Amino acid sequence: MNEFDQARQTFFDESRDMLREIEDALLVLESGGGDAETLNGLFRAAHTIKGSAGLFGYEDVVAFTHEVETVLDRLRAGELAFGEELAGLMLACADHVSSLLAELESGNTGETADRDRGTGLVTRLRSLYATPEATTRAASPAVEASSDAPASGPCRWRIDVRFGADVFRNGMDPLSFIRYLGTRGELVRVVTRLFDVPPADRFDAETCHLALDILVHTTASREELEKVFDFVRDDCTLVLTRVTEGAPSVETTGTGAVPTEGGTEPVVAPEVVNVAMTRQKEQRAEEARFIRVQADKLDELISLVGELVIAGAGATLVARQIRHMGMLEATQSISDLVEEIRNSALQLRMVQIGDTFARFRRVVRDVSHDLGKEIELEIRGADTELDKSVVEKIADPLMHLVRNAMDHGIETGDERAAAGKPRAGHLRLNAYHDSGSIVIEVQDDGRGLDRARILRKAVERGIVPENTELPEDEVFGLIFMPGFSTAETVTNLSGRGVGMDVVKRNIESLRGTVHVASTPGAGTKMAIRLPLTLAIIDGFLVTVGRSSYVIPLDMVVECIELPADIPAHAQHFNLRGEVLPFLRMRDVFQVEDSVAGHESVVVVRNGTSRAGLVVDRLLGELQAVIKPLGRIFRDLQGIGGSTILGSGEVALILDVPALIARATRNSTLAGPATAGIPRSPGRLLTEIPSSLERE
Amino acid sequence: MKSAVLHAKPGAESAQPGVSQYLTFVLGGETYAVGILRIKEIIEYGALTSVPMMPSFIRGVINLRGAVVPVVDLQARFGKTSTQVARRTCIVILEIESNGESQDIGVLVDAVNAVLDIAEADIEPPPSFGTGIRPDFVEGMGKIDGRFVIILDLSRVLSIDELARLASASQQECESAF
Amino acid sequence: MERVPYVVAGEFTIYQVAEQKAPLLAMAADADEPELDLGGVTEFDAAGMQLVLVAEQLARDAGKSLRLVAASPAVAEAFRVAGLDDRLPREVSA
Repeated sequence: MNEFDQARQTFFDESRDMLREIEDALLVLESGGGDAETLNGLFRAAHTIKGSAGLFGYEDVVAFTHEVETVLDRLRAGELAFGEELAGLMLACADHVSSLLAELESGNTGETADRDRGTGLVTRLRSLYATPEATTRAASPAVEASSDAPASGPCRWRIDVRFGADVFRNGMDPLSFIRYLGTRGELVRVVTRLFDVPPADRFDAETCHLALDILVHTTASREELEKVFDFVRDDCTLVLTRVTEGAPSVETTGTGAVPTEGGTEPVVAPEVVNVAMTRQKEQRAEEARFIRVQADKLDELISLVGELVIAGAGATLVARQIRHMGMLEATQSISDLVEEIRNSALQLRMVQIGDTFARFRRVVRDVSHDLGKEIELEIRGADTELDKSVVEKIADPLMHLVRNAMDHGIETGDERAAAGKPRAGHLRLNAYHDSGSIVIEVQDDGRGLDRARILRKAVERGIVPENTELPEDEVFGLIFMPGFSTAETVTNLSGRGVGMDVVKRNIESLRGTVHVASTPGAGTKMAIRLPLTLAIIDGFLVTVGRSSYVIPLDMVVECIELPADIPAHAQHFNLRGEVLPFLRMRDVFQVEDSVAGHESVVVVRNGTSRAGLVVDRLLGELQAVIKPLGRIFRDLQGIGGSTILGSGEVALILDVPALIARATRNSTLAGPATAGIPRSPGRLLTEIPSSLERE
Repeated sequence: MKSAVLHAKPGAESAQPGVSQYLTFVLGGETYAVGILRIKEIIEYGALTSVPMMPSFIRGVINLRGAVVPVVDLQARFGKTSTQVARRTCIVILEIESNGESQDIGVLVDAVNAVLDIAEADIEPPPSFGTGIRPDFVEGMGKIDGRFVIILDLSRVLSIDELARLASASQQECESAF
Repeated sequence: MERVPYVVAGEFTIYQVAEQKAPLLAMAADADEPELDLGGVTEFDAAGMQLVLVAEQLARDAGKSLRLVAASPAVAEAFRVAGLDDRLPREVSA
């Protein structure tokens, strides 16, 4: 990626952040909250998008956000009232900007549908600010909303420049840029303003607080105009906007001078004032406190630290082999430090879940509108941190659970009233850390799951045999089975072809589990438990044949010796009075050479029950840096990844639920199902882990 | 861990136009050649972790300076017997492009010979049979000192999609067997 | 009280603004009818202009108006370039 592409990417990333802020602010305002600062924040965010888009020549975005800004300014000035309708319009505008950006980012520009939608929104926006006092002013010039195609002949450009603080000190005179610009075209209007001037006692006369708003009639291209500011490009904010020829001009007669601040109101286009006001308020103090780093650079660092861990373990191994005490101590203290470095490195990738949660404000608002339900969203634990890669992948499953709760969980206002509940439903998103995992809960106070109906549906669909007796937990788990849907009526929300089984699969692919608790009439709680990071796993190292395997430690219950009296063909044994089905890993992996010594059993969690994995040797616990296996192995079931041991040897990480699912599938195919084990194809309820139930 | 025997320089074009460089290696007594541009490095055969339930031509994975790289037994991939590891056995690390992503794959060979120039004019189109391997695996026949060597079409021999499909099929076979 | 305009003469650029700041702003804040005479300014730049604008704003905040009673050609040119012609004294701007 070259520098420009990087800058462009940063622009898209930042714009997305800004849009999220805009959305949040709009939702806060709509719900009657917020204050002047919320509006200012809204304004700043819109303005930042406009300014940055201008730098990259994205005229469509500039033109459109400009219209949005104009309305926001009216809001700020108290000329417009913020109501639900306006909120809806502004949200639609935010969506439009978002899709414009998405198009630009992907390179597919010029969707007609988008253009039409944009034009429609602009018309609505303009109708808002064509208020009586606005019409007395000069009409705002139509900002060309089309492409950046080179103009034939002269055209008008609006140039907004805000100079950086050090411009004077760097020997630059902003006036010389205007003079130079005057040689490139006709200066229709120049407005010089102050911005961000501190009180007199703190004002530093050598710090630049000047901004220019210039309207120039020129044949020069965008690039040529930008070149004018080459000397200060790194030290100014520059926005170029092409203004359509022939549109009512701002001021063609006279030199429209605007007093700096608070002077008598001149006859001037609203947009000029808007820009002036915005610029003064614009301030992104937060920027200085954060550094934006590309995620892959961070991944590279973490991967290197992972290497360091492995190399360190190798050194410790050697020290142990040569039994050198001093060396052992030295490698130990290095290992400890490396461990700390790794934790800090991983910490860098941790992000708060709040941003993900906040997105649901919009979803809840829109969906509850569509459903005609009143739903309040409560967010807790927004500052709970988890790995960025996990956050990215959890958004979709979470979305599904939230929609599901709104759609099926929470009743209509009338139903709720009849049940003696408050009319407005309550949806809670909660996150917290619990013993090395993060737990994310989606909880509603709706009707709760109907146990009997779920079971009936499952039988109807052949997911479980008739007359099956299942613990409540497993009944609820059935909703995650493929092809299961309890909704009596398929709404436009749930009928999207994505089932809860996909949710579960996505969560499992993150080495997570999902657990359902529900009380009829009182609501449902879906709890997702995820590892804090996908980069590292606490594992238990075993050998089968000549290879080493890692079993994720959170799956391991205990390790025992394989009882000597077990027949060779047995598939279960008695573990303290309970049946323990087990898998001989040698058979599963078709290892041919004979066993040396006594085999062991690793008892693993298997949903609410347990299962045993028979292995050759137990080597103990380790922390493994997860390495992806190549794409050749993408369809491999039962192996979740790999890691590199201290010796340099590659060890494979077992995907225990998948292994057991395979075994269950095979035994189901092989013979009659035993009681309680469903006969269905696909994933089985016995594998629904419920680690939440762990003490 | 393992010492690098040879490092191919990326973009190693021969000085003369119309001439490309090829690495020749021996496999089951037969000499094959591959274009040098795809070759990242050649390492001695070392600790290899076998991946269970895989077809015989997927020997396993190795640790290549921290990256886990699959190793393909070319002999087995050609439908012949698996390669026996001997003193001169090497792993040639190749970079394979697939769906816009590149993936490193190691191939097991009995011995590497040399890096040779072969002029375009000295490359014959593949015969429809007679090479002992699938015709689509052959890119052409290169003439070296009056002898023909098989120039392999790596995008076919090491097609990620095909390898993944075969791996998956093998796993299902294991499943039904056990 | 007789009105005595605050006079800046010679160079009025980035090199002078630091020392000019305190007296100029004090005048703008304290004088009943603050007046500024830039008739003798030989060199003028945006830093000088910024200081004038800040003084003007300070006066305005205090409910007064800072008047530019004289402007040298250098000052007049700069104000015109910056679109601030209205600040210039009538005889100069005419």
